[in-house]
Amino acid sequence: MSLITSMIRRPLDPGYAEAAKRRRRAGLPQATPTRTVLVVVMALLIGFMFAVSAKALRPKPSVAAQARAELIERIETLQSGAAQSEAQIRALTKEVRGYEEMALAQSGAPDLTTQIEQYALQAGLTPLAGPGLTLTLDDATSAGTDAQAGTRPSGGFDSGRVAAGDLQIVVNGLWGAGAEAISINGQRLTSTAAIRFAGQAVIVDFRPLSRPYVITALGDPEQMQRVFGPSFAGVYLDQLTRQYGIRAAFAASKALTVPGDSSMHVEFAKPIPSDVPSARPPTTGSGS
Amino acid sequence: MIPAIGLLVGLLVGLLLDPAVPLWLQPYLPIAIIAALDAVFGAVRAVLDGIFNDKVFVVSFLSNVVVAALIVFLGDQLGVGTQLSTGVVVVLGVRIFSNVASIRRHLFRA
Repeated sequence: MSLITSMIRRPLDPGYAEAAKRRRRAGLPQATPTRTVLVVVMALLIGFMFAVSAKALRPKPSVAAQARAELIERIETLQSGAAQSEAQIRALTKEVRGYEEMALAQSGAPDLTTQIEQYALQAGLTPLAGPGLTLTLDDATSAGTDAQAGTRPSGGFDSGRVAAGDLQIVVNGLWGAGAEAISINGQRLTSTAAIRFAGQAVIVDFRPLSRPYVITALGDPEQMQRVFGPSFAGVYLDQLTRQYGIRAAFAASKALTVPGDSSMHVEFAKPIPSDVPSARPPTTGSGS
Repeated sequence: MIPAIGLLVGLLVGLLLDPAVPLWLQPYLPIAIIAALDAVFGAVRAVLDGIFNDKVFVVSFLSNVVVAALIVFLGDQLGVGTQLSTGVVVVLGVRIFSNVASIRRHLFRA
């Protein structure tokens, strides 16, 4: 206990009292002035030490956070660039259409405009409007935001998140139920659009989407709901909502629109020459 | 007064220069700061008690810092670094508190 007692009762360094006694005995004033060079130098040193320590020990933004911010910045730049390019493509496509029409009108050839329009419709290049369903899928409220993604059955996957596989099954179910055109979050599903996952992101037609996923399907709303409900996809969706808490909401509407796909581009595939004239109905086929 | 200005100037210089502290030195900084605080408050109390001595101040400061660093170093080597640091912080903290209480009595008579 004597340690604690001395610590509390005599906190001052005993050296001060001894030095004072020595100076008294020598006939000097017991205290030295506080303005000596030594004291000022010490004060400078201590202040410097405080400042340096405060600076050095303050938690710094980690390297990971810096890299993250940089990556976010790059992603945003690239995204805005992509949006600009897309707008340009749309404008140029419109221009090309105009020239096509002009050329057709001038050449006096049989009117191909309706045929071109029909092909564009089939390829999913044309924005469409009509009655249909919107199906909004969202992660479960309990789902973390930093979970690892993957396909549904794999381990270590937050089961409350909407996976690319879920979207695939639901979209296929909608095609099967008679949907004529489908878009997810404004991405038109054409014959070249794939629904995939990369890391945590669901990717539709090479564009990463974020929740909530709004699937817009044009078609007869009542018939689609009737066929979709008992189908495999309908049962699957039901299970998702019941077991994993994934939120799904259907809404029928008389007037919906799906955008056209501006990035449709076929470079290597060549049509097989055939005598059979293409006489399909103007609906987009199964595209996922 | 002049030592206080010196302290402020040192603070400003440190903040402006912002020198890089080598990594091996960083574990000693917190303990060294507490030791320095103890020395400073002891010196202020000694001034108010009328028994200040610059040599004692310098020696007590240096020995405080060196011993604190040594304790941390030894604790790290023995694997009880955090416990020993806690001990140092407790002892110096108690001393700082009672010195400050004494300074308060001197200044405010309360």
